[in-house]
Amino acid sequence: MVSKISGEAAPDGARWARLIEAIAVDGDREAFAELFRYFAPRIKTFMQRSGASEQGADELAQDTLLAVWSKAELFDPRSVGAAAWIFTIARNLRIDALRRQKRTPSDDTGGAELEFRLDEGPQPDSGIEASQVEARVRNAISALPDDQLRVIELSFFQERAHAEIAKTLDIPLGTVKSRLRLAMARLRNLLDDFS
Amino acid sequence: MTVHHHPSDELLTAFAGGTLDLGQHIAVATHLVGCPRCRTVVHAMEHVGGAVLADMPRSEMLPGSFEALERRLGEPIAANRPLPELPRRGFGDVGGLPPFLYGYPDSSWRWIAPKVHLRPIRLPQPSPTRVFLLRSSPGTKMIEHTHSGFEMTCVLSGSFTHAGGHFGPGDFDFGDGSVDHDVIIDSTDDCVCLVAMQGDLKLSGLIGRLLQPLIRM
Repeated sequence: MVSKISGEAAPDGARWARLIEAIAVDGDREAFAELFRYFAPRIKTFMQRSGASEQGADELAQDTLLAVWSKAELFDPRSVGAAAWIFTIARNLRIDALRRQKRTPSDDTGGAELEFRLDEGPQPDSGIEASQVEARVRNAISALPDDQLRVIELSFFQERAHAEIAKTLDIPLGTVKSRLRLAMARLRNLLDDFS
Repeated sequence: MTVHHHPSDELLTAFAGGTLDLGQHIAVATHLVGCPRCRTVVHAMEHVGGAVLADMPRSEMLPGSFEALERRLGEPIAANRPLPELPRRGFGDVGGLPPFLYGYPDSSWRWIAPKVHLRPIRLPQPSPTRVFLLRSSPGTKMIEHTHSGFEMTCVLSGSFTHAGGHFGPGDFDFGDGSVDHDVIIDSTDDCVCLVAMQGDLKLSGLIGRLLQPLIRM
């Protein structure tokens, strides 16, 4: 099948959203291959930083992309950005994988995906286009100083995040907390317009 | 429902990042059920997660990964089935809880102190954080206590007051060792809270020391 998407891949939320929609509508394998090329190696890094082995991280990256393929019809570009949607899939698979590692499968209760579903109906429409949220978040974090960006990034990885971040960056725990607070305050300023 | 007390931004970020243990996750999720403001923050933080993911350095996939995956695309996909229906059993009778708790094993209320009852929530995953519902009658003055770990409290109904303010339905309270709780239930009906706790309560006073063995969970 010839992809309806043309042009070069670029780190661009709108393009990723179109690729996911092409999968949903046409089962477009070229669109899928492009998403794989961009995201799979990055999801692999994400999983390795979360403690997965190389083999395990590779498999989790594959599983994430497989879920992108199979859930593409559920993707709603008006309510969530493409990268954020893929992130939540990867996050949930990571949680379930960590539990399997501890030999405590959670299949009987629906797993992490269910644990992030907070109400029974669709999410309320905030009236703000997801692409706007996405663009503003990207601008906001690109405007953060490096040291603040590092603590934000790291808080997406470890359990007992703050103590671990302090160890990783070799800075006192208090400094981690104050940098995170600063970074959050700046993000909040940029995001507050939404609420 | 007007919510006045929220989890910290750090806690909401950890929730969005999926790094909380299940007990903490349940406490924050319970708050989110009743708080659109914090749901918006979590949603925004998931976009930050998306940006973090999209900006990760690359780790080359193993040879043959894509081909292996491509062969799986044609298979019927178990993951594509809709999420399981959530029968309202177990904790389905308690208003304000996140739906995934409905399927947890039921438990019954038990007496732990005068006018105070506790109903444990048994987690399907081992978690360093214990979770339970706490029901206290109006006018109850909770035993003075501090914590060796931390305590997250979500009000489901009724209200209480302590030095940190007044807490009604939807409010979230975070206590750690620095807090000496002296809590009074000031609603006209029972106050029901979901509590997630790590470490032990340290009760002060003679009565507290006598009750300590009963309150251990």
